[in-house]
Amino acid sequence: MNMITGYIEPTEGQIIIEGYDISKKPIKAKSQIGYMPEGVPLYSDLTVKEFITYMAELKKVNKKERKEKVEKIIEQTGLKDVQNKLTRNISRGYKQRVSMAGALVGEPKILILDEPTVGLDPKQITEIRSLIKELGKTHTIILSSHILSEVSQICNKVIIINKGQIVAIDTPQNLENKVSNNNSIFITVEDTQNKMDKMKSKIKQIKEIKLIKENEDGTKDYILEAEGDIDLRKIIFTEFAKENITIFEMKKADTTLEDAFMKLIEGGEE
Amino acid sequence: MWAIIKKEFKSYFYTPIGYIFIGVFLIAFSISFYFSVVGYGNVNFEYIYYSLPTILVLAFIIPLLTMRSFSEERKTGTEQLLLTSPTSITKIVLGKFIAALAIVIITELCTFMYFGILCHYGVPKLTTTLATLLGFLLFVLSYISFGMLTSSITENQIISGIISIGFFIITWVLPEFNTTLESYSFINMFYKYTQGQIDIGDTITFVSFTIMCLLLTITVMQRRKSVK
Repeated sequence: MNMITGYIEPTEGQIIIEGYDISKKPIKAKSQIGYMPEGVPLYSDLTVKEFITYMAELKKVNKKERKEKVEKIIEQTGLKDVQNKLTRNISRGYKQRVSMAGALVGEPKILILDEPTVGLDPKQITEIRSLIKELGKTHTIILSSHILSEVSQICNKVIIINKGQIVAIDTPQNLENKVSNNNSIFITVEDTQNKMDKMKSKIKQIKEIKLIKENEDGTKDYILEAEGDIDLRKIIFTEFAKENITIFEMKKADTTLEDAFMKLIEGGEE
Repeated sequence: MWAIIKKEFKSYFYTPIGYIFIGVFLIAFSISFYFSVVGYGNVNFEYIYYSLPTILVLAFIIPLLTMRSFSEERKTGTEQLLLTSPTSITKIVLGKFIAALAIVIITELCTFMYFGILCHYGVPKLTTTLATLLGFLLFVLSYISFGMLTSSITENQIISGIISIGFFIITWVLPEFNTTLESYSFINMFYKYTQGQIDIGDTITFVSFTIMCLLLTITVMQRRKSVK
C-alpha cells in the first residue's frame, strides 16, 4: 500500500497507476491517487477547513475552483459543523472524516483507504461505511482492513495477501462459497435422554456430530456434517422426532469471510 | 511548492515559534542598540548586528525555527501526506526553506526601525547597512539549512535542536582557538560584510554551504523512502 502511494520506493517490480509508472513518473501517478493513511495523521495547528484547503493546494486544484470544491467536500463528508475547529480538538470519528476529505479533494480516480474504521464507535463505523459505499459508485476504492465482516459488506472484490503472496482474488461471495460445505447443518436441540451420540449410527448419512456448546437452558448446539452432498434437514426432522429429541433451531451452517480467510491462509502454509 | 511555503509560513505564526524568533531577536537587538548607541554614542547600524547579544541569541533561535520542520512531520505521520501528494521532495525541502527565509527577511525588515532612529540622530552608512543585511541573511540561512538537515535525520526535535545549537557554538568558538580554522569561520566572514566588504569568496562559501545542506536534506529524505 505504501508503495502504491509512492511513500516507499519498491525494491523490485513495477507499479502502474492509470498508465503512469510510479517510479518513473511519480507526480503524474500520485495525482491519480487520494490516500488516507492509517492512524489519520493531521496537522494539529490547522483548522478542518484549512487542512482540506492545504490538501487541495498540494494536489494542485485550480485556484478558481478550489474554494468551491473544498466546500463541496466538507458538505459531502458531513464536516460542516466542525469546519472551523482545530483538527486536534475534534473527535476521532471526525478526524477520520477529515482525513478522508483530504484524500477525496482534487477528485482522484483512485482512493486508497488504510484501515478507515479503526478506533471508531459503532455509529461512526456505519457512517464511514455508508460514505465509502457512496464513494464507491464514482471512484475506484482500494481498502485495507482487518475487519473482515466490513470487507464482505462493502467490497466487490477481495484480495487476500499472506506474507507478500496473493492467496486469493475473488468476490467476497465466491470466496465464502468456495470454502463453505453445503452439507453441514447447525442445530439446537433439547436432548434430555442423551440420545445424540447414538444418532450417528441411526442415521447413516451423518458423517460427524460436533458439539459446539451447551446452553444455560439445557439445550445444546451441534453441527452435523453429512456424508456426500445431501441436505440432512428432512431426515433430521423426522428421525429426531422419533427419538424424542426436540429441535429448537435448525439451519444450514453459514461460512463467513473469516472462515474463508483462515482456510486460505492455512492452506498456503501447509 | 507555493502551497507548502504558504502553509509553513502560516504555521510559524499559528504556533508561537514565529513570534518567539522575531521577538527574542529584536529584544537582543534592542539591548545591543541601547549599549552601542546610547552608551557609546555610536551611529553605526552594522555594529548592532555584529554584537555579542545578537549573535548569542541566534544560536538558540535558529534551531527553534528549523527543528520542527521534518522531525514533527515524521513523528505525527503527516510526512505520509506530503510524500504521497503530487509534489517532489525537492519542492518540499525548498518550500520549508523558503518559509524560514521569509521569517528571517521579516526580522531584518523589523530592524529597519532602529535604522530610522539612527537616521534621526546621525548619518549611518546605507551601503554598509545593506552589505550587513545581505551578510546576515546568508549567515543565518547557512545555519537554517544545517538545522533542516539535522531535522531530517532525526525523529526527535530536541535532538535536532541540540545538534544545531552545538554546531552553531562550535563553529563560533572553535576558530578563536585555532588559526587554521579562522579563515573558515562563518562569524569572521559575516564580520567582513559588516565592514562593508562583500567578498565573492565568502558569499560563495555561504551559498554553497546552504545548497550543500539542502541537497543533503533532499538525499536523506529520498533515501529514507527507499530503505524504510
